[in-house]
Amino acid sequence: MTVITKLTTVELKLLAREPGSIFTILIPLFILVVFGSSIPPGDTVLLPMTLAIAVGLVGLYQLPTTLATYRERGILRRLSTTPVRPGSMLAVQLILQLVLALTACALLIAVAGAVLGAHLPSQALPVAAVFLLGTAAMFAIGLLIAAVAANGRTANGVGVLLYFPLAYLAGLMQPVDQMPDILARIGAFTPLGAFRQALHDVWAGLSPDPPLLGVMAAYAVIVSLAAARFFRWE
Amino acid sequence: MAVIDVAGLTKRYGDHTVLDGVSFSVEQGEIFGLLGPNGTGKTTTVECVEGLRRPDGGTIRVLGLDPIGDGRALRERIGVQLQHTQLPENIKVWEALDLYASFYAEPRDWRELLEQWGLAGKRGARFGKLSGGQKQRLFIALALVGNPKVAFLDELTSGLDPQARRATWELIKQVRASGVTVVLVSHFMDEVEELCDRVAVFDRGGIVATGSPAELIDGVDAEHQMRFTLMAGDASDPIALLSGLPGISGVTRDGDRVSVTGRGDFATAVTSALARDLIPVADLRIDKRTLDDAFTALTGRSFHL
Repeated sequence: MTVITKLTTVELKLLAREPGSIFTILIPLFILVVFGSSIPPGDTVLLPMTLAIAVGLVGLYQLPTTLATYRERGILRRLSTTPVRPGSMLAVQLILQLVLALTACALLIAVAGAVLGAHLPSQALPVAAVFLLGTAAMFAIGLLIAAVAANGRTANGVGVLLYFPLAYLAGLMQPVDQMPDILARIGAFTPLGAFRQALHDVWAGLSPDPPLLGVMAAYAVIVSLAAARFFRWE
Repeated sequence: MAVIDVAGLTKRYGDHTVLDGVSFSVEQGEIFGLLGPNGTGKTTTVECVEGLRRPDGGTIRVLGLDPIGDGRALRERIGVQLQHTQLPENIKVWEALDLYASFYAEPRDWRELLEQWGLAGKRGARFGKLSGGQKQRLFIALALVGNPKVAFLDELTSGLDPQARRATWELIKQVRASGVTVVLVSHFMDEVEELCDRVAVFDRGGIVATGSPAELIDGVDAEHQMRFTLMAGDASDPIALLSGLPGISGVTRDGDRVSVTGRGDFATAVTSALARDLIPVADLRIDKRTLDDAFTALTGRSFHL
Protein backbone atom coordinates (compact mmCIF):
# COMPACT_ATOMS: atom_id res chain seq x y z
CA MET A 1 0.00 0.00 0.00
CA THR A 2 1.34 3.41 -0.82
CA VAL A 3 1.78 6.04 1.85
CA ILE A 4 -1.14 8.11 0.57
CA THR A 5 -3.51 5.13 0.59
CA LYS A 6 -2.48 4.24 4.12
CA LEU A 7 -2.75 7.83 5.28
CA THR A 8 -6.18 8.11 3.68
CA THR A 9 -7.35 4.85 5.28
CA VAL A 10 -6.25 5.91 8.75
CA GLU A 11 -7.64 9.44 8.40
CA LEU A 12 -10.93 8.04 7.12
CA LYS A 13 -11.19 5.84 10.20
CA LEU A 14 -10.43 8.85 12.41
CA LEU A 15 -13.07 10.91 10.62
CA ALA A 16 -15.63 8.14 11.15
CA ARG A 17 -14.73 8.02 14.89
CA GLU A 18 -15.22 11.77 15.20
CA PRO A 19 -18.67 12.70 16.56
CA GLY A 20 -18.45 16.07 14.75
CA SER A 21 -18.56 14.44 11.33
CA ILE A 22 -21.63 12.41 12.29
CA PHE A 23 -23.39 15.64 13.37
CA THR A 24 -22.37 17.32 10.12
CA ILE A 25 -24.31 14.63 8.31
CA LEU A 26 -27.22 14.42 10.75
CA ILE A 27 -28.03 18.13 11.28
CA PRO A 28 -29.01 18.95 7.65
CA LEU A 29 -30.77 15.58 7.39
CA PHE A 30 -32.78 16.40 10.51
CA ILE A 31 -33.76 19.81 9.09
CA LEU A 32 -34.75 18.18 5.82
CA VAL A 33 -36.95 15.59 7.49
CA VAL A 34 -38.58 18.01 9.96
CA PHE A 35 -39.50 20.62 7.35
CA GLY A 36 -39.86 18.08 4.55
CA SER A 37 -43.19 16.82 5.82
CA SER A 38 -44.86 20.10 4.83
CA ILE A 39 -43.33 20.72 1.40
CA PRO A 40 -45.41 20.49 -1.77
CA PRO A 41 -44.41 17.71 -4.21
CA GLY A 42 -41.74 18.87 -6.61
CA ASP A 43 -40.42 21.47 -4.14
CA THR A 44 -37.22 23.19 -5.32
CA VAL A 45 -36.40 25.22 -2.19
CA LEU A 46 -35.82 22.99 0.83
CA LEU A 47 -33.32 20.51 -0.65
CA PRO A 48 -30.92 23.18 -1.99
CA MET A 49 -31.10 24.86 1.43
CA THR A 50 -30.11 21.69 3.29
CA LEU A 51 -27.35 20.98 0.76
CA ALA A 52 -25.92 24.46 1.42
CA ILE A 53 -26.18 23.85 5.19
CA ALA A 54 -24.29 20.56 4.86
CA VAL A 55 -21.47 22.06 2.78
CA GLY A 56 -21.37 25.11 5.07
CA LEU A 57 -20.98 22.94 8.18
CA VAL A 58 -18.15 20.89 6.65
CA GLY A 59 -16.32 23.97 5.35
CA LEU A 60 -16.77 26.27 8.33
CA TYR A 61 -16.73 23.80 11.19
CA GLN A 62 -15.33 20.37 10.38
CA LEU A 63 -12.40 21.29 8.12
CA PRO A 64 -10.88 24.16 10.14
CA THR A 65 -11.34 22.38 13.48
CA THR A 66 -9.57 19.25 12.21
CA LEU A 67 -6.65 21.11 10.64
CA ALA A 68 -6.13 23.55 13.51
CA THR A 69 -6.24 20.66 15.99
CA TYR A 70 -3.64 18.78 13.96
CA ARG A 71 -1.36 21.78 14.02
CA GLU A 72 -2.01 22.43 17.71
CA ARG A 73 -1.15 18.83 18.62
CA GLY A 74 2.08 19.00 16.62
CA ILE A 75 0.91 16.27 14.25
CA LEU A 76 1.88 18.25 11.14
CA ARG A 77 5.23 19.08 12.72
CA ARG A 78 5.89 15.46 13.65
CA LEU A 79 5.13 14.47 10.06
CA SER A 80 7.68 16.94 8.77
CA THR A 81 10.42 14.91 10.51
CA THR A 82 9.51 11.86 8.39
CA PRO A 83 10.06 11.31 4.66
CA VAL A 84 6.38 12.23 4.17
CA ARG A 85 5.65 15.92 3.66
CA PRO A 86 2.95 17.41 5.90
CA GLY A 87 1.39 18.73 2.68
CA SER A 88 0.29 15.15 1.96
CA MET A 89 -1.74 15.21 5.16
CA LEU A 90 -3.34 18.49 4.08
CA ALA A 91 -4.24 17.03 0.69
CA VAL A 92 -5.67 13.87 2.26
CA GLN A 93 -7.73 15.94 4.70
CA LEU A 94 -9.15 18.12 1.91
CA ILE A 95 -10.15 15.05 -0.08
CA LEU A 96 -11.76 13.39 2.93
CA GLN A 97 -13.68 16.52 3.91
CA LEU A 98 -14.90 16.71 0.31
CA VAL A 99 -15.98 13.08 0.61
CA LEU A 100 -17.78 13.98 3.84
CA ALA A 101 -19.63 16.85 2.12
CA LEU A 102 -20.48 14.59 -0.83
CA THR A 103 -21.75 11.85 1.50
CA ALA A 104 -23.95 14.30 3.40
CA CYS A 105 -25.34 15.72 0.13
CA ALA A 106 -25.89 12.30 -1.46
CA LEU A 107 -27.81 11.22 1.64
CA LEU A 108 -29.93 14.40 1.55
CA ILE A 109 -30.72 13.96 -2.14
CA ALA A 110 -31.59 10.29 -1.66
CA VAL A 111 -33.91 10.97 1.29
CA ALA A 112 -35.48 14.05 -0.34
CA GLY A 113 -36.08 12.25 -3.64
CA ALA A 114 -37.18 8.86 -2.37
CA VAL A 115 -39.12 9.78 0.77
CA LEU A 116 -40.23 13.40 0.50
CA GLY A 117 -40.90 13.63 -3.22
CA ALA A 118 -38.80 16.76 -3.64
CA HIS A 119 -37.72 17.85 -7.10
CA LEU A 120 -34.42 16.48 -8.37
CA PRO A 121 -32.65 18.32 -11.19
CA SER A 122 -32.40 16.49 -14.49
CA GLN A 123 -29.09 17.92 -15.61
CA ALA A 124 -26.07 16.69 -13.70
CA LEU A 125 -23.43 19.02 -15.13
CA PRO A 126 -24.70 22.39 -13.82
CA VAL A 127 -25.37 20.77 -10.43
CA ALA A 128 -21.84 19.40 -10.29
CA ALA A 129 -20.35 22.75 -11.35
CA VAL A 130 -22.31 24.70 -8.73
CA PHE A 131 -21.53 22.12 -6.06
CA LEU A 132 -17.79 22.24 -6.78
CA LEU A 133 -17.63 26.04 -6.87
CA GLY A 134 -19.68 26.43 -3.69
CA THR A 135 -17.66 23.75 -1.89
CA ALA A 136 -14.39 25.36 -3.03
CA ALA A 137 -15.56 28.74 -1.68
CA MET A 138 -16.63 27.30 1.70
CA PHE A 139 -13.46 25.17 2.02
CA ALA A 140 -11.35 28.24 1.25
CA ILE A 141 -12.94 30.01 4.22
CA GLY A 142 -12.36 26.92 6.35
CA LEU A 143 -8.69 26.88 5.33
CA LEU A 144 -8.34 30.55 6.22
CA ILE A 145 -9.83 29.90 9.67
CA ALA A 146 -7.43 26.97 10.11
CA ALA A 147 -4.56 29.19 9.00
CA VAL A 148 -5.15 32.01 11.47
CA ALA A 149 -6.71 30.21 14.47
CA ALA A 150 -4.25 29.50 17.28
CA ASN A 151 -5.75 26.13 18.12
CA GLY A 152 -8.61 23.73 17.48
CA ARG A 153 -10.94 25.35 19.99
CA THR A 154 -10.49 28.80 18.49
CA ALA A 155 -11.01 27.42 15.00
CA ASN A 156 -14.16 25.70 16.18
CA GLY A 157 -15.43 28.90 17.82
CA VAL A 158 -14.66 31.10 14.83
CA GLY A 159 -16.31 28.58 12.52
CA VAL A 160 -19.50 28.46 14.56
CA LEU A 161 -19.50 32.25 14.97
CA LEU A 162 -19.15 32.75 11.21
CA TYR A 163 -21.67 30.07 10.36
CA PHE A 164 -24.72 31.78 11.86
CA PRO A 165 -24.49 35.21 10.16
CA LEU A 166 -23.47 33.57 6.89
CA ALA A 167 -26.34 31.11 7.10
CA TYR A 168 -28.76 33.95 7.90
CA LEU A 169 -27.57 36.11 4.99
CA ALA A 170 -27.71 33.06 2.74
CA GLY A 171 -31.40 32.65 3.53
CA LEU A 172 -30.86 29.39 5.40
CA MET A 173 -32.58 30.62 8.59
CA GLN A 174 -35.58 32.16 6.88
CA PRO A 175 -36.46 32.27 3.18
CA VAL A 176 -34.90 35.20 1.30
CA ASP A 177 -38.31 36.64 0.28
CA GLN A 178 -39.11 37.17 3.97
CA MET A 179 -35.80 38.89 4.66
CA PRO A 180 -35.22 42.66 4.51
CA ASP A 181 -34.41 43.48 0.91
CA ILE A 182 -31.01 44.96 1.66
CA LEU A 183 -29.89 41.86 3.62
CA ALA A 184 -31.09 39.55 0.88
CA ARG A 185 -29.06 41.56 -1.65
CA ILE A 186 -25.97 41.47 0.54
CA GLY A 187 -26.57 37.75 0.95
CA ALA A 188 -26.07 37.14 -2.76
CA PHE A 189 -22.50 38.39 -2.37
CA THR A 190 -21.68 36.00 0.46
CA PRO A 191 -20.23 32.59 -0.49
CA LEU A 192 -22.98 30.60 1.18
CA GLY A 193 -25.70 32.91 -0.19
CA ALA A 194 -24.38 32.66 -3.75
CA PHE A 195 -24.13 28.90 -3.34
CA ARG A 196 -27.69 28.53 -2.05
CA GLN A 197 -29.10 30.79 -4.76
CA ALA A 198 -27.15 29.05 -7.55
CA LEU A 199 -28.31 25.64 -6.29
CA HIS A 200 -31.86 26.91 -6.17
CA ASP A 201 -31.55 28.17 -9.78
CA VAL A 202 -30.34 24.85 -11.17
CA TRP A 203 -32.98 23.05 -9.12
CA ALA A 204 -35.65 25.24 -10.71
CA GLY A 205 -34.33 24.28 -14.13
CA LEU A 206 -32.69 27.66 -14.78
CA SER A 207 -29.06 28.02 -15.71
CA PRO A 208 -27.10 29.48 -12.77
CA ASP A 209 -26.62 33.21 -12.77
CA PRO A 210 -23.01 34.00 -13.90
CA PRO A 211 -22.50 36.67 -11.19
CA LEU A 212 -23.29 34.04 -8.52
CA LEU A 213 -20.72 31.69 -10.03
CA GLY A 214 -18.30 34.62 -10.15
CA VAL A 215 -18.85 35.38 -6.47
CA MET A 216 -18.13 31.76 -5.50
CA ALA A 217 -15.06 31.54 -7.75
CA ALA A 218 -13.72 34.82 -6.37
CA TYR A 219 -14.08 33.62 -2.76
CA ALA A 220 -12.49 30.29 -3.65
CA VAL A 221 -9.43 31.88 -5.25
CA ILE A 222 -8.86 34.98 -3.10
CA VAL A 223 -9.56 33.36 0.27
CA SER A 224 -7.45 30.28 -0.61
CA LEU A 225 -4.54 32.54 -1.48
CA ALA A 226 -4.94 34.36 1.82
CA ALA A 227 -5.08 30.99 3.63
CA ALA A 228 -1.90 29.84 1.87
CA ARG A 229 -0.24 33.14 2.77
CA PHE A 230 -1.06 32.87 6.49
CA PHE A 231 -0.83 29.11 6.96
CA ARG A 232 1.69 27.91 9.55
CA TRP A 233 2.77 24.30 9.99
CA GLU A 234 3.38 24.83 13.70
CA MET B 1 33.73 9.09 11.52
CA ALA B 2 31.35 11.47 13.22
CA VAL B 3 27.67 10.81 12.64
CA ILE B 4 26.79 14.44 13.35
CA ASP B 5 29.06 17.39 12.77
CA VAL B 6 27.92 20.86 13.78
CA ALA B 7 30.22 23.84 13.32
CA GLY B 8 29.51 27.46 14.15
CA LEU B 9 25.72 27.02 14.27
CA THR B 10 23.97 30.36 14.73
CA LYS B 11 20.25 30.98 15.07
CA ARG B 12 18.47 34.27 15.66
CA TYR B 13 14.83 35.10 16.21
CA GLY B 14 14.54 38.76 15.34
CA ASP B 15 17.13 40.60 17.44
CA HIS B 16 17.46 37.74 19.87
CA THR B 17 20.40 35.42 19.27
CA VAL B 18 19.44 31.99 20.56
CA LEU B 19 22.52 30.12 19.37
CA ASP B 20 25.83 31.83 18.87
CA GLY B 21 28.40 29.61 17.20
CA VAL B 22 27.49 26.18 18.55
CA SER B 23 29.89 23.36 17.57
CA PHE B 24 29.94 19.70 18.52
CA SER B 25 30.17 16.27 16.97
CA VAL B 26 28.48 12.99 17.77
CA GLU B 27 30.22 9.68 17.21
CA GLN B 28 28.71 6.49 15.82
CA GLY B 29 26.92 4.37 18.45
CA GLU B 30 27.07 6.74 21.40
CA ILE B 31 24.37 8.38 23.45
CA PHE B 32 25.09 12.06 23.20
CA GLY B 33 23.33 14.41 25.58
CA LEU B 34 22.36 18.04 25.19
CA LEU B 35 22.00 19.19 28.78
CA GLY B 36 20.93 22.54 30.13
CA PRO B 37 18.08 24.46 31.70
CA ASN B 38 15.01 25.26 29.61
CA GLY B 39 15.46 28.16 27.23
CA THR B 40 19.17 27.67 26.54
CA GLY B 41 18.78 26.57 22.92
CA LYS B 42 19.03 22.76 23.20
CA THR B 43 15.81 22.13 21.35
CA THR B 44 16.57 24.78 18.74
CA THR B 45 19.92 23.05 18.17
CA VAL B 46 18.43 19.59 17.59
CA GLU B 47 15.68 21.05 15.44
CA CYS B 48 18.33 22.62 13.20
CA VAL B 49 20.14 19.26 13.09
CA GLU B 50 16.87 17.47 12.20
CA GLY B 51 16.19 19.97 9.41
CA LEU B 52 13.07 21.39 11.09
CA ARG B 53 14.65 24.83 11.39
CA ARG B 54 16.90 26.71 9.03
CA PRO B 55 20.09 27.94 10.70
CA ASP B 56 21.24 31.54 10.19
CA GLY B 57 24.88 30.50 10.06
CA GLY B 58 27.28 27.57 10.39
CA THR B 59 27.37 24.14 8.84
CA ILE B 60 25.60 20.94 9.85
CA ARG B 61 26.23 17.45 8.51
CA VAL B 62 24.24 14.45 9.66
CA LEU B 63 25.38 11.10 8.21
CA GLY B 64 27.19 13.26 5.66
CA LEU B 65 23.95 14.98 4.61
CA ASP B 66 22.87 18.62 4.80
CA PRO B 67 19.60 18.73 6.80
CA ILE B 68 18.14 21.45 4.56
CA GLY B 69 19.53 20.51 1.13
CA ASP B 70 19.29 16.72 1.52
CA GLY B 71 16.26 16.76 3.82
CA ARG B 72 14.35 13.98 2.11
CA ALA B 73 17.30 11.56 2.21
CA LEU B 74 18.10 12.52 5.80
CA ARG B 75 14.55 12.04 7.10
CA GLU B 76 14.65 8.49 5.73
CA ARG B 77 17.59 7.77 8.08
CA ILE B 78 16.66 9.52 11.31
CA GLY B 79 13.96 8.98 13.91
CA VAL B 80 12.59 11.84 15.96
CA GLN B 81 10.63 12.14 19.17
CA LEU B 82 9.55 15.75 19.60
CA GLN B 83 8.65 17.52 22.81
CA HIS B 84 5.00 18.61 23.08
CA THR B 85 3.60 16.58 20.21
CA GLN B 86 0.53 14.43 20.39
CA LEU B 87 -1.28 12.04 18.10
CA PRO B 88 -4.97 12.20 17.19
CA GLU B 89 -7.01 11.16 20.25
CA ASN B 90 -8.80 8.38 18.39
CA ILE B 91 -5.91 6.70 16.59
CA LYS B 92 -5.16 3.19 17.85
CA VAL B 93 -1.64 2.22 18.91
CA TRP B 94 -1.19 -0.31 16.10
CA GLU B 95 -2.60 2.10 13.52
CA ALA B 96 -0.09 4.78 14.45
CA LEU B 97 2.85 2.35 14.23
CA ASP B 98 1.59 0.81 10.99
CA LEU B 99 1.06 4.28 9.47
CA TYR B 100 4.48 5.62 10.48
CA ALA B 101 6.15 2.40 9.26
CA SER B 102 4.62 3.03 5.82
CA PHE B 103 6.46 6.38 5.60
CA TYR B 104 9.88 4.70 5.34
CA ALA B 105 11.56 2.65 2.63
CA GLU B 106 12.91 -0.02 5.01
CA PRO B 107 10.88 0.10 8.22
CA ARG B 108 11.24 -2.20 11.20
CA ASP B 109 8.54 -4.71 11.99
CA TRP B 110 6.32 -2.62 14.24
CA ARG B 111 5.01 -5.72 16.02
CA GLU B 112 8.48 -6.28 17.47
CA LEU B 113 8.58 -2.69 18.70
CA LEU B 114 5.17 -3.18 20.26
CA GLU B 115 6.57 -6.11 22.26
CA GLN B 116 9.88 -4.47 23.08
CA TRP B 117 8.29 -1.28 24.38
CA GLY B 118 5.67 -3.12 26.43
CA LEU B 119 2.73 -1.98 24.35
CA ALA B 120 1.53 -5.34 23.08
CA GLY B 121 -1.37 -5.27 25.54
CA LYS B 122 -2.36 -1.82 24.31
CA ARG B 123 -2.24 -2.66 20.62
CA GLY B 124 -5.90 -1.80 19.99
CA ALA B 125 -6.14 1.04 22.56
CA ARG B 126 -6.81 4.58 21.43
CA PHE B 127 -4.04 7.13 21.95
CA GLY B 128 -6.27 9.31 24.15
CA LYS B 129 -6.78 6.41 26.60
CA LEU B 130 -3.07 5.72 27.18
CA SER B 131 -1.22 6.71 30.35
CA GLY B 132 1.62 9.24 30.18
CA GLY B 133 4.22 6.49 30.25
CA GLN B 134 2.49 4.47 27.54
CA LYS B 135 2.24 7.55 25.30
CA GLN B 136 5.91 8.25 25.80
CA ARG B 137 6.87 4.66 24.94
CA LEU B 138 4.71 4.88 21.83
CA PHE B 139 6.49 8.07 20.75
CA ILE B 140 9.86 6.38 21.17
CA ALA B 141 8.63 3.33 19.24
CA LEU B 142 7.44 5.70 16.47
CA ALA B 143 10.87 7.32 16.41
CA LEU B 144 12.45 3.89 15.87
CA VAL B 145 9.96 2.35 13.45
CA GLY B 146 11.75 3.74 10.38
CA ASN B 147 14.88 1.77 11.32
CA PRO B 148 16.93 4.95 11.84
CA LYS B 149 20.71 5.34 12.09
CA VAL B 150 20.24 8.22 14.52
CA ALA B 151 17.39 8.72 16.99
CA PHE B 152 16.66 12.15 18.47
CA LEU B 153 14.80 12.04 21.77
CA ASP B 154 13.69 15.34 23.30
CA GLU B 155 12.84 15.26 27.04
CA LEU B 156 11.90 11.63 26.82
CA THR B 157 11.09 11.07 30.47
CA SER B 158 9.21 14.31 31.25
CA GLY B 159 6.11 13.55 33.24
CA LEU B 160 7.05 9.94 33.99
CA ASP B 161 7.13 8.49 37.48
CA PRO B 162 10.54 7.35 38.80
CA GLN B 163 9.94 3.69 38.06
CA ALA B 164 8.85 4.39 34.48
CA ARG B 165 11.90 6.63 34.01
CA ARG B 166 14.27 3.84 35.09
CA ALA B 167 12.53 1.40 32.77
CA THR B 168 12.81 3.87 29.89
CA TRP B 169 16.52 4.36 30.56
CA GLU B 170 17.11 0.61 30.29
CA LEU B 171 15.35 0.54 26.95
CA ILE B 172 17.39 3.47 25.66
CA LYS B 173 20.55 1.55 26.54
CA GLN B 174 19.19 -1.33 24.45
CA VAL B 175 18.67 1.06 21.57
CA ARG B 176 22.34 2.03 21.77
CA ALA B 177 23.33 -1.64 22.01
CA SER B 178 21.49 -2.25 18.74
CA GLY B 179 23.86 0.21 17.04
CA VAL B 180 21.62 3.27 16.83
CA THR B 181 23.27 6.56 17.72
CA VAL B 182 21.08 8.45 20.19
CA VAL B 183 20.90 12.21 20.69
CA LEU B 184 19.20 12.96 23.97
CA VAL B 185 17.90 16.40 24.93
CA SER B 186 17.34 16.65 28.65
CA HIS B 187 17.22 18.98 31.58
CA PHE B 188 17.51 16.08 34.02
CA MET B 189 21.03 15.71 35.44
CA ASP B 190 20.47 12.17 36.70
CA GLU B 191 19.21 11.02 33.32
CA VAL B 192 22.21 12.42 31.49
CA GLU B 193 24.64 11.04 34.06
CA GLU B 194 23.06 7.61 33.80
CA LEU B 195 22.71 7.38 30.03
CA CYS B 196 25.08 9.61 28.14
CA ASP B 197 28.52 8.67 26.87
CA ARG B 198 29.20 12.33 26.21
CA VAL B 199 27.38 15.54 27.00
CA ALA B 200 27.29 19.08 25.68
CA VAL B 201 26.36 21.45 28.49
CA PHE B 202 24.23 24.39 27.34
CA ASP B 203 23.90 27.76 28.92
CA ARG B 204 22.40 30.87 27.32
CA GLY B 205 23.59 31.15 23.75
CA GLY B 206 25.43 27.90 23.40
CA ILE B 207 27.67 25.14 24.70
CA VAL B 208 29.89 25.86 27.69
CA ALA B 209 31.56 22.44 27.95
CA THR B 210 31.62 19.05 26.24
CA GLY B 211 32.83 15.73 27.62
CA SER B 212 31.79 12.54 29.34
CA PRO B 213 29.79 13.07 32.56
CA ALA B 214 32.80 11.84 34.58
CA GLU B 215 35.18 14.24 32.80
CA LEU B 216 32.85 17.15 33.36
CA ILE B 217 32.49 16.34 37.05
CA ASP B 218 36.24 15.79 37.54
CA GLY B 219 37.02 18.91 35.58
CA VAL B 220 35.35 21.24 38.01
CA ASP B 221 36.96 22.39 41.17
CA ALA B 222 33.76 22.70 43.15
CA GLU B 223 33.65 22.65 46.92
CA HIS B 224 32.36 19.43 48.38
CA GLN B 225 32.20 17.76 51.74
CA MET B 226 33.46 14.73 53.57
CA ARG B 227 32.10 13.58 56.91
CA PHE B 228 33.22 11.15 59.57
CA THR B 229 32.55 10.23 63.17
CA LEU B 230 35.31 10.18 65.79
CA MET B 231 35.58 6.95 67.72
CA ALA B 232 34.13 7.18 71.20
CA GLY B 233 36.59 8.12 73.92
CA ASP B 234 39.13 9.62 71.59
CA ALA B 235 40.12 12.92 73.10
CA SER B 236 42.10 14.26 70.15
CA ASP B 237 40.82 17.35 68.43
CA PRO B 238 41.06 17.06 64.65
CA ILE B 239 39.96 20.61 63.89
CA ALA B 240 43.35 22.20 64.39
CA LEU B 241 45.03 19.32 62.59
CA LEU B 242 42.80 19.47 59.50
CA SER B 243 42.23 23.22 59.12
CA GLY B 244 45.82 23.76 58.04
CA LEU B 245 45.74 21.18 55.23
CA PRO B 246 45.82 22.39 51.60
CA GLY B 247 42.47 22.69 49.81
CA ILE B 248 40.39 22.78 52.95
CA SER B 249 38.10 25.72 53.49
CA GLY B 250 36.23 24.69 56.62
CA VAL B 251 36.08 22.12 59.42
CA THR B 252 33.13 21.91 61.80
CA ARG B 253 32.58 19.58 64.70
CA ASP B 254 29.31 18.65 66.32
CA GLY B 255 30.01 16.23 69.16
CA ASP B 256 31.72 13.23 67.56
CA ARG B 257 30.70 14.17 64.08
CA VAL B 258 33.14 16.10 61.94
CA SER B 259 32.44 17.67 58.58
CA VAL B 260 35.19 18.97 56.28
CA THR B 261 34.62 21.20 53.26
CA GLY B 262 37.23 21.64 50.56
CA ARG B 263 38.23 21.59 46.93
CA GLY B 264 40.13 19.21 44.70
CA ASP B 265 41.56 16.02 46.19
CA PHE B 266 41.40 17.22 49.78
CA ALA B 267 39.90 13.93 50.92
CA THR B 268 43.21 12.12 50.43
CA ALA B 269 45.00 14.77 52.48
CA VAL B 270 42.44 14.38 55.27
CA THR B 271 42.59 10.58 55.42
CA SER B 272 46.40 10.49 55.39
CA ALA B 273 46.56 13.14 58.13
CA LEU B 274 44.14 11.12 60.26
CA ALA B 275 46.14 7.97 59.66
CA ARG B 276 49.46 9.66 60.48
CA ASP B 277 48.16 10.90 63.82
CA LEU B 278 46.48 7.54 64.49
CA ILE B 279 43.04 9.07 64.89
CA PRO B 280 40.50 6.31 64.32
CA VAL B 281 37.27 7.35 62.64
CA ALA B 282 34.10 5.64 61.50
CA ASP B 283 31.34 6.31 58.94
CA LEU B 284 33.69 8.09 56.59
CA ARG B 285 31.71 9.50 53.69
CA ILE B 286 32.69 11.71 50.79
CA ASP B 287 29.80 13.47 49.09
CA LYS B 288 29.62 12.48 45.48
CA ARG B 289 30.04 15.40 43.14
CA THR B 290 27.40 15.54 40.43
CA LEU B 291 26.78 17.18 37.11
CA ASP B 292 24.81 19.73 39.11
CA ASP B 293 28.05 20.92 40.70
CA ALA B 294 29.74 20.82 37.31
CA PHE B 295 27.01 23.02 35.83
CA THR B 296 27.19 25.54 38.64
CA ALA B 297 30.95 25.72 38.33
CA LEU B 298 30.80 26.10 34.53
CA THR B 299 28.14 28.78 34.40
CA GLY B 300 28.41 30.49 37.75
CA ARG B 301 24.74 29.93 38.46
CA SER B 302 22.56 27.22 39.83
CA PHE B 303 21.04 24.83 37.30
CA HIS B 304 17.54 25.05 38.69
CA LEU B 305 17.02 28.76 38.22
